[in-house]
Amino acid sequence: MSDRRTAGAMSADVETWRARMPAAFGATRGRRALRVAGWAVFAAWLVASLWWFDMTPQRIWAGLSGLGTILVLMVPPSPGEQWVEILQGMAESVAMAFLGTFLAAIVAVPLGFLGARNIVTATLWRFSLRRLLDGFRGVDQLIWALAYVRAVGLGPLAGVLAIFTADIAVLAKLYAEAIENAEKKQAEGVVAAGGGRLASVRFGILPQVAPVMLAQALYFFESNTRSATILGVVGAGGIGLQIAERIRVRHWDEVAFIILLMIATVAVIDFISGRIRRRLIGAQAAPH
Amino acid sequence: MLEIERLTRRFGEKTAVDGVSLSIPAGQMVGVIGRSGAGKSTLLRMLNRLTEPSAGRVLFDGTDITALRGQALRDWRMRCAMIFQQFNLVQRLDVLTNVLVGRLNRRPVLTSLLRMFTAQERAMALAALDRFDLAETALQRADTLSGGQQQRVAIARALLQEPRIILADEPIASLDPRNARTVMDALRGVNRDGITVLVNLHDLATARDYCDRIVALNAGRVVFDGPPPALTAQRIREIYGVTEEEFAEEAAAAVGAPPPRHPAIAAA
Repeated sequence: MSDRRTAGAMSADVETWRARMPAAFGATRGRRALRVAGWAVFAAWLVASLWWFDMTPQRIWAGLSGLGTILVLMVPPSPGEQWVEILQGMAESVAMAFLGTFLAAIVAVPLGFLGARNIVTATLWRFSLRRLLDGFRGVDQLIWALAYVRAVGLGPLAGVLAIFTADIAVLAKLYAEAIENAEKKQAEGVVAAGGGRLASVRFGILPQVAPVMLAQALYFFESNTRSATILGVVGAGGIGLQIAERIRVRHWDEVAFIILLMIATVAVIDFISGRIRRRLIGAQAAPH
Repeated sequence: MLEIERLTRRFGEKTAVDGVSLSIPAGQMVGVIGRSGAGKSTLLRMLNRLTEPSAGRVLFDGTDITALRGQALRDWRMRCAMIFQQFNLVQRLDVLTNVLVGRLNRRPVLTSLLRMFTAQERAMALAALDRFDLAETALQRADTLSGGQQQRVAIARALLQEPRIILADEPIASLDPRNARTVMDALRGVNRDGITVLVNLHDLATARDYCDRIVALNAGRVVFDGPPPALTAQRIREIYGVTEEEFAEEAAAAVGAPPPRHPAIAAA
């Protein structure tokens, strides 16, 4: 192929164009200085944080070799003598995650509708609800777990309540956003046919957002199964307690077994929920 | 000179393009017409290898296009720009960057990924936009432009590739008649600069108005190849078994375009 330039089309004078549209030739000197300054502040912050926490290569290297020792102790993984307890703990964790997520998802649906701009037009009410939810979201699941352990005592009930409280706020926000992104026209069709406000929400909006809501709840179930293990460490039931005990007495081979069991469990949940999500979102069949 | 030799593409049982042979001299503007499913898009997409041929060859100035791989293939695609029905601009990037995409193949990978283009290239992009009265929109996001404007941005992007050929796949099917005219004028304009243009059209009147030569496809085969005046209403009826009006309505419906212009108005 010859590299002949195509006739005429590409004659362009840089100076003329730079004069006509300076912004097209990149940032001005002032803006560029500002950008460099911004990056400099960012880099300084990064370095200061590293220095503050004494993150020297030597310390990280020493830590890695410690980790290596633990890894060696983990091989071969072993269920130990109390494997029934381990299985019970795992089942308890999954049950906690399921119950907590399920209850949170149920409560989050009405809250989501109440927090959606296109459903609730009273700004003050919607604003206060959203700020309240933001407040709840600001407190981590683990803090809730610690509080509930004091309130209702050790055991899975505290874990379920912690997952429930922490997830309501997040799910309600996600649901509200999904509802705000729903198409108005479909609800308008229901109103035009003589439907009331509730009917337009039920038949015009809900069928659009229900699959999204369910898919998100499934994601949360999966992620809560993982975090439910942590809740056990603070006494809120589940497999975490088993792990914490074994770490304390350095039975690393049993810890490894529990970790493998957790990975397998999460993989199974991920597989099943993935299939359900694909059916929900891919399928053309109408949700009810 | 573009030579297409017995080019064939099969999708499973179906033969979309069936032994098409054409010889297209440099600088020609060729309109490809045919009903929905006649193989127009497949034919065009095989020329820049977005679709691989099942059999046959394409030669450009003696080089076998169908055998190109890797960098050589990307170089050929740069030389053989494509215009799409849905414009295929990156909606969230500004117009200028969209046009500069046409230079990517000539730039080192790293600097191009960092959006570093030379002042000369930026000036080229602005000049190409200015040619279609779009220089002022250079810093807007592509999705703020109308369909007709976006298609002209796509042509500007094609020009930055400094192509020998432009392939346009139903470039005006998503546009209203006035915008369709500005886009076809733009294509005819770049054709006059010496770029060969192959354009798939559903509208016979447009093909007659703008093209030097019309190729009609039916079921993947060439059923007419000649100058526009030779494609009379009589020939259309012989080839497709429908009147010209029926052909136009059917073709427009198939691509989701506005209803066709009446031939009498188009001719004026």
